[in-house]
Amino acid sequence: MTTLYLDRPSPIHRLNPVTKLVGLLAVVLVVFALPQWWASVAILVLVMVPAAVASGVGGRLLLVTLIIAGPLMLVLIVAQGFFYPGRETILFALGALQFSLEGLLLAVGVGTRTAVLVAASVLLLLTTHPGALMTALTERGMPAKVSYVVSSTLQIIPAFRTRAESILLAQRSRGLRTRGNIVRRVRVLLPLVTPLVLGVFVDVEERSTAMEARAFGSTRSRVSYAVIPDSRGQQFSRWALIVLALAVVVLSFTGVLR
Amino acid sequence: MKVSVHGLEYVYPSGVKALDGVDLEVESGSRLGIVGQNGAGKTTLVRHLNGIFQPTVGTVRIGDWETKGRDIADLAARVGYVFQNPDEQLFARTVAGDVSFGPRNLGVPPERIDELVNLSLERVGLAGEGQTHPYHLSLSERKRVALASVLAMNTPIVVLDEPTTGQDARGVAMIERIVRQLNEEGRTVIAITHDMDFCAENFDRVVVMAQGRILADGEPADVFANGEALDEARVEPPQLARLATALGWTGPVLKVETFVNRLRDSERSR
Amino acid sequence: MIELAGVTYTYPDTERAVLHGLDLSITEGSVFGIVGASGVGKSTLAKVISGFIPHSEGGELEGAVTVAGIDVVKATLLDVVSKVGLVTQNPFNQITGARFSVEEEIAFGLENLGTPRAEMIERVGAIIARFGIQELRDRSPFALSGGQQQLVALASIVVMEPVILVMDEPTSQLDPSGTRLVFDIIDRVAEQGTTVVLFEHKLELLREHAQVVAVLAEGQIVLSGAPREVLADDRLDQWGVGSTRFTSAARAAISAGLASADSAIPVSLNEAVSYFSGGRR
Repeated sequence: MTTLYLDRPSPIHRLNPVTKLVGLLAVVLVVFALPQWWASVAILVLVMVPAAVASGVGGRLLLVTLIIAGPLMLVLIVAQGFFYPGRETILFALGALQFSLEGLLLAVGVGTRTAVLVAASVLLLLTTHPGALMTALTERGMPAKVSYVVSSTLQIIPAFRTRAESILLAQRSRGLRTRGNIVRRVRVLLPLVTPLVLGVFVDVEERSTAMEARAFGSTRSRVSYAVIPDSRGQQFSRWALIVLALAVVVLSFTGVLR
Repeated sequence: MKVSVHGLEYVYPSGVKALDGVDLEVESGSRLGIVGQNGAGKTTLVRHLNGIFQPTVGTVRIGDWETKGRDIADLAARVGYVFQNPDEQLFARTVAGDVSFGPRNLGVPPERIDELVNLSLERVGLAGEGQTHPYHLSLSERKRVALASVLAMNTPIVVLDEPTTGQDARGVAMIERIVRQLNEEGRTVIAITHDMDFCAENFDRVVVMAQGRILADGEPADVFANGEALDEARVEPPQLARLATALGWTGPVLKVETFVNRLRDSERSR
Repeated sequence: MIELAGVTYTYPDTERAVLHGLDLSITEGSVFGIVGASGVGKSTLAKVISGFIPHSEGGELEGAVTVAGIDVVKATLLDVVSKVGLVTQNPFNQITGARFSVEEEIAFGLENLGTPRAEMIERVGAIIARFGIQELRDRSPFALSGGQQQLVALASIVVMEPVILVMDEPTSQLDPSGTRLVFDIIDRVAEQGTTVVLFEHKLELLREHAQVVAVLAEGQIVLSGAPREVLADDRLDQWGVGSTRFTSAARAAISAGLASADSAIPVSLNEAVSYFSGGRR
């Protein structure tokens, strides 16, 4: 299955998926409400790092965040450091280019904000099984069809890879050569892609029959088989987080937090 | 064309050992049936013949070519492999277009290709469907197109992966006819099958596999009388063989005519 | 339990009717086998009995179809589906992809039917035990072999406790051991009173497990009756249906003058043993 999820016995993993989703939402709101460079850094250090440690997947989280946000941060530092118009304090110079503190701080602020958003999202995905997330959301009113699109896509796509390999073997067994120049490689695409695409249509028809045979689409009220644990504490925390995040947004907009 | 397999071992990248020392000599022009449970290594073995797999240990020879280091597309000139699922290879807009794919890749001259395509379609009973779109045909008809597309490649060796699965009586009869025709043309036919009756009646050599090894190898009469090997491989003997055993007859019975002759003999001896 | 009268069906955008004035009557609690050549309309008939024709496929359906007391044409697909289960031949395409574990995949149909959780847990647990698939519980349904997937698909339908189970060549893509497992389950399900309608090519197994066998040919049921009589009928060949080797051997013996044409022709191994040990004179 295509997923970032890593199974660990951590408190973060055990949280209800909606709690984690609300947490992510709160982080997004706060990080955009407070544009100061130190706000993003504070959230990174005070919220994301402890959460990463508690989750037991800190290593993978760090890696993915670095891969996504790292290059961006470097580009920002160079661009803003050397070219930020509001430059006053010069730290050093490279030939005609002057590197300013203001530029550096701006870059750090934006880069860290991106890093926080990436880290929070990836942490959610690393600690939450897609099935649990879908069940939790469906219990709260998300249409079952959305859940189905997500779960079936995550599971069936890898199966297509296996099928693509089989198609390749079958065509090579009929003499198709796959190495060579670009023109040949393009011509080779048709006998490889066509069966894959047509196969999808054949499958979709049969699979939709199977779905109907399982009474999918019925309007009867449904209880989910899987139990997603929740608690009063978490319910309270979710409301508290939303209130807190909204408060920060309001305070920031009204100029109190500057 | 002869097929030689010596000391063949194969280990999947996952570490699973699928073949544990297989030796097999298939004489040119013979018909070999391979039986055994799923997971016994039948498909893994047979996929070494056209280069899909390369031996971990041991050698595989197709005629005078060793398969080591040879491209599947090269071996396709000697070994035609008929896969089970036609929907994993049909791609052309017409049946004829798909059937001609193989010969085209093999560099067969265009005039000869038309001939081969028509002959193959006739053989599988789809003579008038050359211009039909393959996906307008039913699944069993699509299987026949896939079979025709390999027959059109005119290879000295033909490998059939479970050719009778899902076929009705007429479909099985067609496959039997094709096996016979290929044999009459001097081609080597190798088939993996779960249908013991089909195997007993249409092949002159049978190999029983289990857990990556060959447990029995010989004429159908001998192999299907080898209760021990069949048990270990969890394979049931063909219907007539079981009947003969249940009637207390000794010696093999694989075909209806043989059965009737033995019946006649046992009458006379009363 | 199942009554089809004068059923004629034409697929959308086609002209030739696949089923013509078909009549079929199936009593409760039996395993009813249906044989026929490929392309003759077995899958079509399976879909008519299970309600997918006309509700899912469209096309033109005439005639009366009454299944488990429901008029299939007037009812909704959901009404029919809660009473009639359908299992088809491709294992992979019956794994819905809606759930990530075998256990939840099996429960999926019950969820859709609005079953209370405690009952779901009990029924799913019972089915998993009955089918002997405990080790597969937590595995991804897509990581299983074809035979295992077919068992999961079957479990997912049987857990819904359909009154009628329609099976369209369920063992077609399975090896002999997978086939045996499916037939075992057919027996057990039938013992519990479910009516099983089984479309199959494997005649020896059909003889062993079915109480009634019918032949579909030329868009109609042309023959129906006790398995031994139907499967030994000499018109099967013209209808594109084969015979067991036991039957062929008996016919050849008759032609060779070694057996009388009057004794009942065998279909199964045991019948053949009796026949050739002296029952044929």
